[in-house]
Order: sequence, then structure tokens, then C-alpha cells
Amino acid sequence: MNNIFDRIKYGTETIKDPLKNNEFSYGKIVAKETACNNCGKCINECIVDAIKINTSAFGENKIDIDNKKCIYCRNCVDICPNSVLKMTSDYKMAELELAGDKLREKIYSVFKRSLVLRVVDTGSCNACMSELSAIQNTFYDISRFGVNVAASPRHADGLVVTGVVTINMKEALEKTYNAMAEPKIVIAVGSCAYNGGIFKEGDGVYGVLKNALPVDLVIPGCPPSPQAIIFAILKLMDKI
Amino acid sequence: MKISDAIHSLQELNFDLKYEVKNDNELYVRIKSDQIRKLVMICVDLYKFNYICEFSVEEEKPSNEGKVTSIKAKETTINCVFSNSKKGYYMILSYITDQKPIDISNIVYQSRLFQREINKDYDYKVKEVSGTGAYQVAVGPVHAGIIEPGHFRFSVMGEPIENLEIRLMYKYRGIEKQCVDINANSLNLMFERVSGESAVAYGEIYAILVEKILGSEVSDEIKAFRVVLLELERMYNYLDDLGGIANDIGYSYVAKKFGYFSEIIHQLCERISGSRFMRNAIVPLGINIDFDKQKKKDIIDTLQSLKERVSSIIKMSVNAVSFLDRVEDTGMVSRAMAKKLCMTGVVARACNLKYDVRVAFPYEIYREIKKSINIETKGGVFERYKLKCRELKDAFEFIEKALTYINVDIKRDKQEICLEEGLEALASVETVKGELVVYGLTGKDNKFDRIYFKTPSFTNWTGMSEAVLGEIIPDFPLINKSFNMSYSENDR
Repeated sequence: MNNIFDRIKYGTETIKDPLKNNEFSYGKIVAKETACNNCGKCINECIVDAIKINTSAFGENKIDIDNKKCIYCRNCVDICPNSVLKMTSDYKMAELELAGDKLREKIYSVFKRSLVLRVVDTGSCNACMSELSAIQNTFYDISRFGVNVAASPRHADGLVVTGVVTINMKEALEKTYNAMAEPKIVIAVGSCAYNGGIFKEGDGVYGVLKNALPVDLVIPGCPPSPQAIIFAILKLMDKI
Repeated sequence: MKISDAIHSLQELNFDLKYEVKNDNELYVRIKSDQIRKLVMICVDLYKFNYICEFSVEEEKPSNEGKVTSIKAKETTINCVFSNSKKGYYMILSYITDQKPIDISNIVYQSRLFQREINKDYDYKVKEVSGTGAYQVAVGPVHAGIIEPGHFRFSVMGEPIENLEIRLMYKYRGIEKQCVDINANSLNLMFERVSGESAVAYGEIYAILVEKILGSEVSDEIKAFRVVLLELERMYNYLDDLGGIANDIGYSYVAKKFGYFSEIIHQLCERISGSRFMRNAIVPLGINIDFDKQKKKDIIDTLQSLKERVSSIIKMSVNAVSFLDRVEDTGMVSRAMAKKLCMTGVVARACNLKYDVRVAFPYEIYREIKKSINIETKGGVFERYKLKCRELKDAFEFIEKALTYINVDIKRDKQEICLEEGLEALASVETVKGELVVYGLTGKDNKFDRIYFKTPSFTNWTGMSEAVLGEIIPDFPLINKSFNMSYSENDR
């Protein structure tokens, strides 16, 4: 009874468009053209080596930031003396790997109406797990797009992996992957999963996901926000 | 017993020891390895200190240059940490050995957990049960749902669980070793990624550690603001926990509403700090985000609108008979067992253990705002649920109180850190899971030589294998969620 009163009083608490612009979110770091003087401070500051400065033949320095490596700590933005770097609120950074492959495109269109995922944590810091459970809450409610999380890999179309692949979890990850039926896709959530991120050189780490399994979709971020995850999954399902 | 009394008492014992007081509340006692057992017994039985942890610091002594054949002699310093929660100081007993650490597990039971880690002795054999109706259920490491990996082996006689073995360390990444290679100025990023859920508390403990080593303090406004961030983190974690308990019972309306509130807090955090987990916000000697009146108003307004709703949903859950039927008298841990297993945090306070780091070792402005410790007596799922509700209500109060300390705009202030070599310190923070203790020993080039994390989950996991005894397997997810320990910080 109380539930019904509460429901009537506060109504629906689901956001209509989960992909609306969020000005407070972290996002892609962009660099101003022709303003860098190659002081190298940002490269020293970055602990995941995501920044590279390429000097062209005309003496122009171009900063290249690898989205998939970046952990979005903003230290490089703060330290730059000429404020060349700027953090935008563009969270839509997800990229399909193996893009252009016609066969893969066909497979993606199979999942256009429904996609059942299986989540495996192989060594994340559990922030990614928290965000993955947040996409199922009433605010974002990803199940309205036909995306659900299955309890068994046998029922799943996609494998979501968070964190670096540790030595201890490698076998379990491969067994989960092999238990899934074809066609199957692999989604790497977070910078650690695809590129090792901050844990890359740990002595318990086997390697990164791209060396263990073929990755179809990369969702950069540390951790990627629920909006970024929803954007990526909808992109994979060819809905946007 | 004050720290000076402890020193006095140690001198009377007539042992061959050297002592040193560092950072006001750390008493370092260096002793010979054959006396450690006696002294540990005195600490536990006579002084009534709490056993915290045991860890090793490896020192490579340079070998004699003349001899070609000599291999580098590896000497290990073993540190046993005890705390006096009433007077608020730590006692670190350390001895040097070139062999395995001396077994003290018959004096302090949990010592075997830490010594196993020091010895790198990870082989194990699963216990078996035999008899009519005896069988084993193996779960994991890959679980159903969105959870981290860990292996559980239930030994069941008919219905009730006879024994539960929890095997973790699937996520071992070697964070402690990686911390040694990172410059002290950006080490807070690594600390925050030990456990994502309690990122602020880990950022905070790094700040405290460095501030202790440097002997400096920050202004009152920054201290108050740090408390706001810490309590915001406590809020979304407890909201998630309460939602999880309701979800495992099958009360989905309550579960979904708690999930929604947690989302609102996450969004508030994003508006304040630009990160949903408030990462890279707390830095040593300052704060890394701006804070102004607009943000203050935002926090007050959001919490005001949430406060009533949270308490109405909590009321809704505890008024439901089906809910109470599941949680009452489930997953009990006795006080004596909690003490023996060195449990900390909400889980221990539910078993009538009166220990909270915010009161025993007050940091930031907790000395002024937190006066009492919330405890429950029975130690079951319902007690943990009630205690989390109370901590949640406290968090609302603490944020309100802390915001009254902030009357001027806080500017972002990140300073360069320069650490001298050979200094050590021990810091502790109450995270959402319990007491977190970090030991740091500085080394060359502005880096640390040794970082040791005693995470709250490390000891609390054993408490869970105690709580499930006699329960049925379908109650296990509920008990697990009421503990809600982090796999990540346990494995490191």
C-alpha cells in the first residue's frame, strides 16, 4: 500500500533521454592547435603514458592524447602552463573496434532488438562494476532498450569485461568466453580493460584484454559514466 | 593507558628493547625476535590492545664487497601493529629476521592471515565434510550478476551450511609493489584505485599519511570540505548496500528507490567534483577542486529534498513483515567471535564492538562533530541494516554541520610534495567498510620504499564465513550483501 502512495506522489523517476548533454561530466581532452611549446610537463605528469607530442617539419607541436589509455585525472590540464589542453564534457568516446568489416556489421544488426550481456570482472577497482549496476537503476533503465544482464554465459550474446586481466582470472575469463554461443561480442569497459590503465605493470597482471580475446567495443573512461556505457551499447546495437 | 604509561610499563618489563615515538601517536618498539611472543601476549592480555595487522618490510643489505661468493643477505623486518582505541595511539612491535616470521597465531588468531601473505604461502586444501546428506556447492569465481570474482565453497549437511571456505585473490594486481615506482605527487591516483567504491577515503588516507610525514596541517575550511566529500561517499555506498539487501529479499520497490537515491548522490558528486566517484579531489596539503556558494547551496538543496524520502523508504522497508522475516536473526556473529576475527567497521559495530576510527583516532574535523559511536547488540543482518540506516542519517547531519564551517570560497590548491628519505608513518581512516590502516616508509627520489594496506575487507571476509554457519544457502546472498565487502581492496 505504501508503495502505491509513494509511486503516485513522486511519479516516474526515469530520465527520458539518457544521452542528453551533461555539462558536468568528464570527457574527451582536446588540445589547442599550434599553442604547445613542447615543454613536456604533461608527459611527465601522466602516469599512464597517454600523451604524445609530435613535432612536425614546420616546428609545430601537435599533442596526441589516447582516449583509451587516459584515466581522466585532469592533472595534465591543470599543469599545462599555456593552458593548451582542455577537458570537454563530451562523454561519447566509445569506439567500435574492427570497424568497416562488413561481416561484423551483419552480426551487430542481429543484436539490434535485444542484447543479453554477461559481466566478468577480471581485476578492476570495482568502480566500473558500480557504474555497470547503475545503468540498470530506475534513472537510466537500460532494459527499455532491450539490454539485459544474464546470469549465465550460455544465455549471453556479449561479454562485458572490466579491469586488467590478472593471471588468476585469465582461465576463468577464457572459460566464460568459450561457454558463450556464437555469434558473440566482447565489450571492454574502462581504460584498464583495453589498455591496462594504471595497473599495467603490476606483477599479478597477465596482460590486457585485447591480447586475450578479440575486442569489439571499447568504452573509455575511469570509470565510464552510465551515460557513456549506454551510448556505447546503443551504438553497438546500431540504434543511434 | 596513555602513551607515556605504556613506555613506562615497557621499561619495567626489563626486555632488551628500543623504543621511539613518532608522529605523536605511534610508538615504535624494536625488539629481539625471541621476545616477540612474550611481548605480544603482554599487549593482548595485559594492556588489552587491539591487534591490527602484521606486515614485512624487506631490506636489502649491501653485501660485503671483498667476498665474491656472498649472495645478498635478505633481512626482513616484521612489524606487528596494535592499537589502543581508548587513548588513540598505535604500538608497532618490530623485529628483524632472515627466516619466516615467528608464529603468534595461538595468541592472536588472525595473525595467520597476515603471515600467510608474508610467507607467500598460498597453497590450500579445501576442507571436506562426510556423512549422510553431506555435499559441497562450489560457486565462482565468475558469479551470476554484476559482482567481482571470488570462489566460495559451501559444505552442506542437508540444508544448513556446515562450513564455508572463501578463496579470494583472483584480482591480485600487485598494487603495493606498483606504489613504490610512482612519484609521491601522483601516487594519490593509485591509492584511489585500490577500491573504487571508497575512492575518497583512500585519497584521504594518502593525504593524512603525507601530512603526518611532513608534519603539516591544512586549513579548517579544507578539513571541513574533506569531511563533506567523505560523508557523501558514505551516503552512496550505504544507499547501495540497503538497496542490495532489499533486492536480495525481493522487495524490489525499496531496492529500486535506494538505487535511485544513490544515483542522485552520484550526480551531486559529479556536479561538485567532476567525477562521479570524486576521484583526484583530495590531495595532500590541499584540495584539488574549487568550492563556492553555489555548490554549497546545491548540496544543501539536494540533501534536503532527499532526506525525507530516504527515511520514508527506510520506514517502508522495516514496516514490511516479509522483510523482517528474512532479516531478523539471520547471519549472526557473536561479539567474542567478532573480536577474535578482528572485524572492523559497521559489521563489528553491529556485534556490539564499540570501535570507530572517527572517534578513536579523530582526523579532520571529526573530533568536533562526531561524539558517539552507533552500536547494535545482536550482530545479525537486521542489526547491520539498522546500523547502516543510522550511519546514513548521521551522514546527512555531518554534512550539514561541516558545511557551517565553510564560509569562504575554497580555491583549488595543489602543492608539490618533497619527501625526505627514511621517514615512516601509519595512518588510519574509517572507510565505508571499516578501519583502513596504511603504513608508508619513504625512500629516495620522492618515492615510497614501502606501502602497506591493511584493508577492512581483509579481516572482515573471515567474519562472513562465520556468519553463514547454520544458515541455508539461499540466505547467503543476503548475508553477503549485508557485509558487502570489497574484493578489490582485499586482493589489492
